[in-house]
Amino acid sequence: MADHGHDHAEMTAGGAHASHVLSQKMILMIAGGLFVLMGATIGAAFFLPVPALKENTMFMQVLALGIAVIKASLVVYYYMGVKFGTRLIKIFAYGGFVWFFTLFIMMADYTTRPMETVPGWEKQASSALPRNTAEQPE
Amino acid sequence: MSDHVHHNPADGPEVYFQYEDIDQQQESYVVGMWSFLATEVMFFGALFLIYTLYRWKFHDTFFLAHEQLNWKMGGVNTAVLLLSSVFVAFAVHFAQMGKWKIVNMFLAGTLLCAGGFLVIKTWEYGAKLDHKLFPNHSFTYADPNHHETDSFWETSLPKKLQPDKHHQEGNPENARLFFSIYFTMTGLHGLHVVIGIIAISSLMILIKIKSSLITDYVPVELVGLYWHFVDLVWIFLYPLFYLIPK
Repeated sequence: MADHGHDHAEMTAGGAHASHVLSQKMILMIAGGLFVLMGATIGAAFFLPVPALKENTMFMQVLALGIAVIKASLVVYYYMGVKFGTRLIKIFAYGGFVWFFTLFIMMADYTTRPMETVPGWEKQASSALPRNTAEQPE
Repeated sequence: MSDHVHHNPADGPEVYFQYEDIDQQQESYVVGMWSFLATEVMFFGALFLIYTLYRWKFHDTFFLAHEQLNWKMGGVNTAVLLLSSVFVAFAVHFAQMGKWKIVNMFLAGTLLCAGGFLVIKTWEYGAKLDHKLFPNHSFTYADPNHHETDSFWETSLPKKLQPDKHHQEGNPENARLFFSIYFTMTGLHGLHVVIGIIAISSLMILIKIKSSLITDYVPVELVGLYWHFVDLVWIFLYPLFYLIPK
């Protein structure tokens, strides 16, 4: 495969290569982790024995998404090889996800201002959907 | 720089003139794939934002509407996709070892999982269509007669996978919104699965005919990156649509 006769230190800091071989043992361990976490997601949603926590929507949602983030990190770091990638690969890989979280700043607008109604559109405060004026005349 | 004109495939992959060495060349392939995946993150990111906004505004109806989805089938699909990701990881591993027959076996396993995913999805979509939950002109929600319509897509399932019966409750307009987002996001994810199937089967054919396009493990790695991304999206779709807390 690759000719390792010369020094790549400049390009691949820390001796990282684009071609890291993930061992079979690691692949199976990550797989085990992914399936256990999948079980944890379903278990938490239906069989959590603490009613006080189960009734807390925010806690349950954060728990479910937290598990999802751990699963996603396992896939991205190990299976997609970002952990062993060069700096350039890391920049491109993380760039997309950083953008993803930046996008959610948009929620600041929706949380701080009321949904303004537009004449001819749905007037109920609870819905942002267009009103069908043909079937529901004013 | 590579100064030979006639490249002998036995020497390993050819280093093209614009690259310093093979590591730099392979790195640029992987970076190219990641920049494509970044655009995919942006694409799905906008949809996740839409989901977040409406879930936040209409949480109660979204909770009631999500009870119409079959979380057991969704769970099976999650397991199927995770398994396919493991197969792809093994395919990349054996491609790096140069064991191409084993690579094709694992890719075939991935294809089976991908096909299984789409079959399960068909059963889910079929049931939603029978219950008139597809958000087109026939959409009917909170119809008291809906339990009388038995759907083939549900009765044909093994008992343990059949959905729990729930009354359709909540604001029908907001429920329509829930199902619009559900069909958009899972539909686009399904489209990505179909594209993945095309990519994986093309790769298998190229490996089988010992195509000159496959000089090293990188094509398998790139298809693998795409497939892991498809899995990644589902990892978030499953709890967000099937397991909404009250």
